[in-house]
Amino acid sequence: MNRRLSNTKTILWALVGVLAVLTLSRFMRGLGATTALTDLAPWGLWIAFDVMSGVALAAGGFVVAATVYIFGRQEYHRFARPAILTALLGYAAVAVGLLYDLGLPWHIWHPMVYPQHHSVLFEVAMCVMLYLTVLALEFAPVVLEHPWFDKPLFRTVHSWINRLTIPLVISGIVLSTLHQSSLGSLFLLTPYRLHELWYSPIIWVLFFVSAIALGLMMVTAESFFSSWLFKHKLRLDLMAGLGRAASIVLFLFVALRVGDVAYRGLLPSLANGSWQSNLFIFEVLLSALLPAALLLFSKVRTSGPGLGTCAAMTIFGMIGYRFDVCIVAFMRPESLPYFPSWIEVAVSMGIVAGALLIFIFFIEKFRVFKHDEGEGTTAAAVDLPGRDRFNPSTMRLLSPARLDGPRRYTMAVLLAAAVTVALLPAEALHGVQDTLTPVSPPRAVEGYAVARADTPGTDFVVLQEDEAPPDGALLQALYTIDGNRNGRVSLFPHTFHVEKLGQNQSCVRCHHLNMPEDRNSACSECHRDMYAVTDIFDHASHIEAVRGNDGCTDCHRDPEGAKGRTSALACTGCHAGMVVAGSVVRPPEKGMDGFAGGYMDAMHGLCVKCHEQVVLEGTVKVAAHFSNCATCHHELRLPGPPAVDPLLLAEARSGTAGDPGEGGL
Amino acid sequence: MSTRMSILTDVTLCTGCEACVEGCKKENNLGKDVPRRWKLRIDDLSSTRFTTIDHPGGNHHVRRQCRHCIEPACVSACLVGALQQTPEGAVIYDADRCMGCRYCMTSCPYGIPRYDWEAAVPYVRKCNLCHQRLIKGGVPACVEACPEKATIFGAREEMLAEAHRRIEENPGRYQGRVYGETEIGGTSVIYISDIPLDFLGFKPDLGNTPLPERSWAALSKVPPLIAGMGGLMAGVWWVVGRRMKLAEGEQHVDTPESGETAKPAPDEKETEA
Repeated sequence: MNRRLSNTKTILWALVGVLAVLTLSRFMRGLGATTALTDLAPWGLWIAFDVMSGVALAAGGFVVAATVYIFGRQEYHRFARPAILTALLGYAAVAVGLLYDLGLPWHIWHPMVYPQHHSVLFEVAMCVMLYLTVLALEFAPVVLEHPWFDKPLFRTVHSWINRLTIPLVISGIVLSTLHQSSLGSLFLLTPYRLHELWYSPIIWVLFFVSAIALGLMMVTAESFFSSWLFKHKLRLDLMAGLGRAASIVLFLFVALRVGDVAYRGLLPSLANGSWQSNLFIFEVLLSALLPAALLLFSKVRTSGPGLGTCAAMTIFGMIGYRFDVCIVAFMRPESLPYFPSWIEVAVSMGIVAGALLIFIFFIEKFRVFKHDEGEGTTAAAVDLPGRDRFNPSTMRLLSPARLDGPRRYTMAVLLAAAVTVALLPAEALHGVQDTLTPVSPPRAVEGYAVARADTPGTDFVVLQEDEAPPDGALLQALYTIDGNRNGRVSLFPHTFHVEKLGQNQSCVRCHHLNMPEDRNSACSECHRDMYAVTDIFDHASHIEAVRGNDGCTDCHRDPEGAKGRTSALACTGCHAGMVVAGSVVRPPEKGMDGFAGGYMDAMHGLCVKCHEQVVLEGTVKVAAHFSNCATCHHELRLPGPPAVDPLLLAEARSGTAGDPGEGGL
Repeated sequence: MSTRMSILTDVTLCTGCEACVEGCKKENNLGKDVPRRWKLRIDDLSSTRFTTIDHPGGNHHVRRQCRHCIEPACVSACLVGALQQTPEGAVIYDADRCMGCRYCMTSCPYGIPRYDWEAAVPYVRKCNLCHQRLIKGGVPACVEACPEKATIFGAREEMLAEAHRRIEENPGRYQGRVYGETEIGGTSVIYISDIPLDFLGFKPDLGNTPLPERSWAALSKVPPLIAGMGGLMAGVWWVVGRRMKLAEGEQHVDTPESGETAKPAPDEKETEA
């Protein structure tokens, strides 16, 4: 019995087990939870490998069909059935892979009812669908040969399909030509994203030619695989012919690929040492030039290792070409790179494993290979490990029972599924959850308190490396608070707060350590107005409100002093409601400049300051209504001016409340 | 309304207050922003944010939104016609048709369409120029919300004229071109600006060729390709088959295959296989 086969099948079944779990996760939790795709990298591994490479890898079907049925090279007929089976399963895998990648896979039939014939993808979809049908019909005779189908109806169908062989083959070639090339045409729409070494007006020709070479090499590789798996004899004499053909096609590919780059005047850029240039050179060498050159030697062509190496180079190189076009050389912002998640990789592998299992099934149950390869008998015995250890004369097992075929595979599936469930990331299990914005803990830095020159107040600055400390500045302990870890920190002047709140007795006002899990108070617990809104002082409307020029002294009390914001009555002198009820921070009795600053000051200071400056410079026109609250604060769109406390206003006019020179906001 | 409409954004007037974002979110019931992992910045476009403000540095604020190209690449890319252009120039999305291939996202030269990555039933999301308002004669919510009149709405001809008028009136203030007038066939959302706006596209110089023309160049070759390839293969098959028959006839003169004219070789091979 064939241990190699049953071990291979065990591994493949395990991969299918992984796929089963990931399938549930993918369809229940969505693309975001399972893939590394992003808005600027909407196509990833499933397109590059499952679809783009999958279709190209399955090109062996139409290439061999053309060779045998159209060009009449009957000596290659032995490759036809395995090649068509590979193609059929390859395209089926593409379709399955597409179901995973599509956001709404249950709409996969929509191209048939909502055709949009200006779309290259529409052409690809229709061709792939039709070609899948053609391949199924091409392969149907193999199934219908089976004794189980030896009934009149099936015999009739069989003979009809046989009569249709040539039309089927020709339509298969035409459909393949169309969609193999159109997979390249898809990228004609992306001149700005695909790097110029790959973006070519003849990218569709390149895709088609490379698919032919890849098809030939896949037939070769598939022969190697079956001969290894089923211990068949290799027909290296025939495979050498495939190698020779591949060599010619690969040279044609190199000529087109390099010729196109040369025609577009990009050859000099190949020497510039950028990673794209190096990748291009490596890719052309690996995928085409090296194997094509090696295959020129009949020694290489007719030796197993030689041919195998060339096939591997072409296959990896041409898959690489598709990956470069779809992912590597396809522009994404640097800060948003794409690297497939392990779930994407495992799904791709699981689909391939499933296709391989079906491939092995067909080889075991149907006559895919020719007689001289003796597949039927060995294959039938293959699936029964343990039987050879049974002694029929004594009715005893010769060795301890071990897991035989189906049980072993079931175990593999279940074990792999269990491991996968254990490894699933939380998102793939539960779906994408909202995460709290990460906040960096405050970090202590040393900074300086600098009194503002023109306005009351203090600025807190942290020196850059080469800066000298400002004159008369006080070294203080500051904290940087980075609200959302975006690198934009705000300074929290700790010393300043300690002094203001009453030295050592004040710690508990913020760090009230008697409360569990409470490390410190939020700023807004004292600065209650942080989230409140207020007007920007509008001088003109105040003039109107206080009877024109007669009212100047209502606010500017000191007849001798300069009229200005700092010498005017504080806003709270009239508008009592400006200090939010419950705020611990009170308007200062004397000598202080208003209540503690909040977000609104920062925000308004920023906007107004900048606008004033811009107006002075005269470079930008600023709309007149910018100082209205309601410009930004829609909820303040009230009919009248802000409420003025009549009592306070009366007091203000009689000169009993507030002192001039206290500073406004 | 069937004239082609347009949004003109004057970057020099934008204060970056994001009232447009708020208006857009309200109009389209977009809710909170999605997690950051699918976007470049925390306030990047996303499936719940159809317009946003870019801050390219300095005192400049540039509103980013779907450009509603005159010849949209996404519309030509969509294989089921889920993205379509209305007579007003709005590129709108039909969620019932979409199959989720995301080719539109790949093909957009401005990288605009966004996807519901977190959803198990995801759709493509992008600005639709408030088409639901346009058909009632309204203006897009973002335009309505703008307190600075930095972004205005009207017939494309008028907006272009207005843009050129502003540039002519104040040539020192603006870059000497209207962004979106001719690039890749022109867009419905156009900009005038004091700074270069090349960063809005994937590459600085987009050229004036509409993108759909590029893929149509290949797509239009499909019928001749079908005929050519089919004819070629049929011809080769016929010639090869005839040659083999002649060769066979020379070897076995005693087995004439008079009845079969079309396919002797394959039939024989199929039965042998």
